[in-house]
Amino acid sequence: MIDALVLFDLVLALAIIGIAAGVLILRDAFAMIVCFVIFGLLSALAWVRLAAPDVALAEAAIGTGVTGALLLKTLAHLRGRTLSPPLRVKGGLVVNAALCALVTLAGIGVFLATPIGGAGLEGLVAQNLAASGVAHPVTAVLLNFRAFDTLMEVVVLLVAVVAVWSMERGIARAPAPVMGEVYAGFARLVLPAAVIVGAYLLWIGAIAPGGAFQGGAVLAAVGLMLLITRAYTPLPAHRGAARIVFVIGTALFAAVALFVAQGGRATFEYPAAHAKSLILIIEAVVTISIAATLAALFHGREPVAVSVRETRA
Amino acid sequence: MSEFASIDWLALTVFAPLLGAVASFLAPRMAPQIGFASLTVTALCVVMLAAQVIAGGPVIVSLGGWGAPLGLDLRADGLGIVMLGMTMLVGLFVSLGALDSFSAAREGEENARMRLYFWPLWLLLLSGLNGAYVSTDIFNLYVMIEVIALAAIGLTVLTGRLEAMRAGLEYMFASMLGALLFLMAVGLAYLQAGRLDFAGLAAHAGEPAMMLAFALMLVGLALKTALFPLHFWLPRAHASASAPASALLSGLVLKASLYILLRFWVEIFGPGSLIGLTVGLMGTGAVIWGSVQALRTQRLKLLVAWSTVAQIGLICVAFALADTIGAQTAWQGAVLLMVAHAVAKAAMFLAAGRIAQETGHDRIADLDRTHLRPTLAQFAFALAAISLIGLPPSAGFAGKWLLMEGAMRAGAWIWVVVAMAGTLFSVAYLSRPLIGFLRFDRAPDPVGEHHGWAIADAPPLMLAFIAAISGLAAVQIIGVLDIGAPFGPFP
Repeated sequence: MIDALVLFDLVLALAIIGIAAGVLILRDAFAMIVCFVIFGLLSALAWVRLAAPDVALAEAAIGTGVTGALLLKTLAHLRGRTLSPPLRVKGGLVVNAALCALVTLAGIGVFLATPIGGAGLEGLVAQNLAASGVAHPVTAVLLNFRAFDTLMEVVVLLVAVVAVWSMERGIARAPAPVMGEVYAGFARLVLPAAVIVGAYLLWIGAIAPGGAFQGGAVLAAVGLMLLITRAYTPLPAHRGAARIVFVIGTALFAAVALFVAQGGRATFEYPAAHAKSLILIIEAVVTISIAATLAALFHGREPVAVSVRETRA
Repeated sequence: MSEFASIDWLALTVFAPLLGAVASFLAPRMAPQIGFASLTVTALCVVMLAAQVIAGGPVIVSLGGWGAPLGLDLRADGLGIVMLGMTMLVGLFVSLGALDSFSAAREGEENARMRLYFWPLWLLLLSGLNGAYVSTDIFNLYVMIEVIALAAIGLTVLTGRLEAMRAGLEYMFASMLGALLFLMAVGLAYLQAGRLDFAGLAAHAGEPAMMLAFALMLVGLALKTALFPLHFWLPRAHASASAPASALLSGLVLKASLYILLRFWVEIFGPGSLIGLTVGLMGTGAVIWGSVQALRTQRLKLLVAWSTVAQIGLICVAFALADTIGAQTAWQGAVLLMVAHAVAKAAMFLAAGRIAQETGHDRIADLDRTHLRPTLAQFAFALAAISLIGLPPSAGFAGKWLLMEGAMRAGAWIWVVVAMAGTLFSVAYLSRPLIGFLRFDRAPDPVGEHHGWAIADAPPLMLAFIAAISGLAAVQIIGVLDIGAPFGPFP
C-alpha cells in the first residue's frame, strides 16, 4: 500500500517538473496557459499529498482558477500575437540556467543538512487552539494568532484593485466571446451550485480546511461567469457600490482590530466570549471583498463611459 | 496624559493611513482633503509614539495578546522611530506638493485621474512602510513588502503614459522576483528555526539553511532596492513617474528594503566579513556605474534617478564599512546617510519636476538656453545637491564624518577610497545642471524668472533646507538611534 503511494508521489513529482518545463519550452501562448493550469492542479494534488489541504484549496482556486482566467483574458487582448519567437540557446540563457542550477543544488544541500520534522509552531498552536475561538488550526493562525498578516494580505488585494482602476483605460474592450446555448445553460446550472460551495467553504473554515480566501475565490468564479456570459455588465453607476464592496473587508477587519483594544486588551485581542462570532463575521465580510476584488481584477478596468479614443480603436 | 498612554500609537501608525486610504478611495471627490488629513493624523501618531519611546525606551505591542513566536509583536526602537520620522517628514512635504501639482486648477483628464488615485495608493504605501518599520517577524515583513511593492507600482504608472507603463511593468517583474526570493528565504528560515520572529531566528544564525536564506534575501532585497547590478529597472521607472510619485519612490520606497537588509544584518545574522564584502562590492559597482550614467544622461530626471543608483550604492558601502569597523557609531553614520538621502532626494525630484513644469522640458543641455528660470526650484535643487554631496551642515556630512573617523581608525582604506570617490563623482554629475542654472549668456531672450510662485515650490525648498541643515540635529538623531541598542554591543 505504502509502495503504491510512493510510486504515485514519484509520478506526480515527475509530472510537475515535466509540465513546468513544458510551460517554458512551448511557444504558443494558449498551450502555455493550458499547461500552467495543469501545473497548478498537479501542485494542488501535491499539497494534498503533503497533508496541507488548505494550501491545496487555495492553489486550486486562486493559483489555478483565477490566475488561469486572468491569463486567458490577457491572451484575448493580445489578438493573435500569441506565438513567441522560437527558443534559442544563447550564452545568457546558459549562464542563467547554470546559476539557477547552483541555487537549486545549494537548496537541496541545505535541505539535506536540515533536521526534518524539527521544531515548529504546531505544538504552540495546538496548546492555544481552545482560546482562539475556532477549532481548525489554520483558521486560528490566519484569523487570530497572525490576524495582522491576514489583514495586510487583504490589503494587498485592495492595493491591486486600486492600482488597476487607477490605470489609463487605453485598452479597448475584448471582443465578446462567441458562446453557444450550451454555455449559457451550463452557467445557469453551475452558478447556484458555485455560490453554495463558496459559502460552504467559508463556513467550514472554522472547523476544517476552507476559509475566506478559498471561499472568496469560488465566489469570484461566479462573478467571472456573470461577466463572461454578459449576465452582468459593470456600469459607471455601479462604481460607488463596487468601491464599498472592495474596501469593506479591510475596513471591518481593521475596525474590529482597533475596537477590541480596550479594557486592557491589545489590538487584535478578541474578547474570549465573542472570538468565534467576531472571526466568523470578519471572514464572511472579507470573503465578499475578496470575491468582488478578484472579479474586478478579471474585468480589469474601472467601468467608465467609453472615451472617444476607445470608440475609434 | 494617562489616557493617551493607553492608546496603541504603535498599531495606529499602520492603521491610520490604512483607514485613510479606505476613506479616500470611497469618496474620490474628497480624496485630497481626506488624504492630507489622514497623513496629518498619522504624523501625530508617530510623534506620540516617538515621545513614548524617548521617554520610556522601546515600545512593544503583542498583537492579539499572544506574543512571539505564536503571535506577532510590533516594536518601535530607536532605529524604527528614526525611519518612521523620516517617512513622515518626507511624506508630509511631498503630499503638500501633490496637493498643488494634482490640484483641480490644473487641467487635463490625466490630472483628474491622478488626483483621485494618488491618495489611496500613497496612503496604502505609507501603511506598508510604517508596518515594515515596526515589524519583528520575517513573514510579516514579506506581507509588508508586497503591500509596498504593489502600491509603488501603482504610483509608477499613475501618469498613464506609455513609457511609464513599460517602466512599471519592468519594475513589477523585478519586484515580484525579489518578493519570491524573499518568500523562499522565509520558508528556509522556518524550516531551520521553526519560528519566524527575529529573536528566534537570531539563535540559529550561521546554520546552513539560514546562510542560504540570507543569501536569497540579499538578492531579493537588492532587486527591490536597485543595488547594482540589479538596478536595471530603476532609472526608467523613477524618471517616468510624476514628480511627487518619483519623490516617494526614490526617497522612501527604496529605504524600506535597505532598512530590512540593515535590520536582518545587525539583528539576526550579525556582522560577517563575507556579507560585508558582497554588499560592499555591489555598492562599489553601483557608485561607479550609477555615476558614469549620471554623467552621460541628457535628461534632468534621468540624472536624478541615476544618482539614486549611485547613492544607494554609497549607502551600501557605508553598511560594509560599518560592518568592518564593527562600532555602533559607524552603523549610526550609515543610517544618517540613509535619512539624508531620503530627504534630499525627495526634494531633488520635486524640484526637478517643478523645473520641467516651468521650462517645459528637462534637457540638461538646454537648461541654460531657456529664458525662463524657476529660481526657487533651482535653488532647492542646489540645496539638495549640497546635502547629497555631503557638505556641512547636512546630515550627509555628519554621517560621512562618523564613518570616515571610524574607518581611518580601523584602517579600512579601500572602503574609504570608494566612499571618497563616490562623493567626488556626485560633485561632478550634480554640477552639470547647476552650471546650466547659473549661465545666463546663452538665453536668446532676456532672462525672466518664471510664471509666478506656486505652492508646489514650497515643499522642495523646505525639504532641501531641512536636508541642508539637518546635520545640526545629528546628535539628537544619534541619541534616538541609541534607544533599545538596535546595533547591539558588538564584540
